[in-house]
Amino acid sequence: MAVPRHRVEMATTPAVNEMSMAEAFEGGPMSDHTPKELDLGALRQAIQAEYAEVAKRPERGFHFHTGRKLASLVGYRDEWLEGISEASIESFAGTGNPFSMGELHSGEHVVDVGSGAGIDSLIAAKMVGSAGWVIGVDMTPAMLEKARAAAAGRTNLEFRQGYGEALPVADSWADVVISNGVLNLMPDKGAALQEMARVLKPGGRLQIGDILVQTSVPESAKRQIDLWTG
Amino acid sequence: MQTTVVAAGFVDFEITWRADVFSGAPQSSSAANFGTLGINFRARKAANQEEWLVEIARLSCALPDAADESSATTSVKDTTTDR
Repeated sequence: MAVPRHRVEMATTPAVNEMSMAEAFEGGPMSDHTPKELDLGALRQAIQAEYAEVAKRPERGFHFHTGRKLASLVGYRDEWLEGISEASIESFAGTGNPFSMGELHSGEHVVDVGSGAGIDSLIAAKMVGSAGWVIGVDMTPAMLEKARAAAAGRTNLEFRQGYGEALPVADSWADVVISNGVLNLMPDKGAALQEMARVLKPGGRLQIGDILVQTSVPESAKRQIDLWTG
Repeated sequence: MQTTVVAAGFVDFEITWRADVFSGAPQSSSAANFGTLGINFRARKAANQEEWLVEIARLSCALPDAADESSATTSVKDTTTDR
């Protein structure tokens, strides 16, 4: 099919398997629509500032775990990290494990949305091998700089600057889209997911680590930019 | 979440893992206030329009008021564009 830009309008409360899943999209960072009065430019600036710190001063300590400790917490295997630059690992700030849902196959094309310092892109590049290709996309220059340095000499991946809601990737290019701890930072989840669908081939896989909130987040809190980053 | 993922063109949505990944972080976080968990989820882009519409229909049938036609007013807009 031509890559669709589907939209579903539901007049009733969305049915989901668990209440927590509904809550996740009712409020907070895991909302599927941009809260009213949220300044998208200011939000992106705040997120970039926070993650530039994660890139430049990972030892500082944040409101989330980072580095090898986090990688272990979310189940990254030691062999995945072999050969990955320590500079990339130390700035790892994901919330899950995209590879736990299935390793990637030789020759596959992969897009890593919000690639940060590059750890997941580098792992993906190892998995897909020289016949595959990985494109990491991130909006934060400091993260891109660190990722590109970590990928020096590798011939099957590249990093591009861009937003998750407007991926700099051709239609139907990817076999797999991965992302880790990033979707929650994008106010318009629907737009971001549609972009992921656009770049995937029909039947392509989405493997995402993210967050879920189990209690409702007040509308006023959704407008607090510091809550998006902390 | 499932609704939003499916609406974007995906099928076979599944949360495969969830865990508290914020406890013990160096700085205090608002995460605990909202019961925030780390999760993994997967889905697959529909192979074609028909498969996606079946998924939409399946999701619609799970609506609590699906039996009540007056309230189950799910509508689908296909804004497929040639690219």
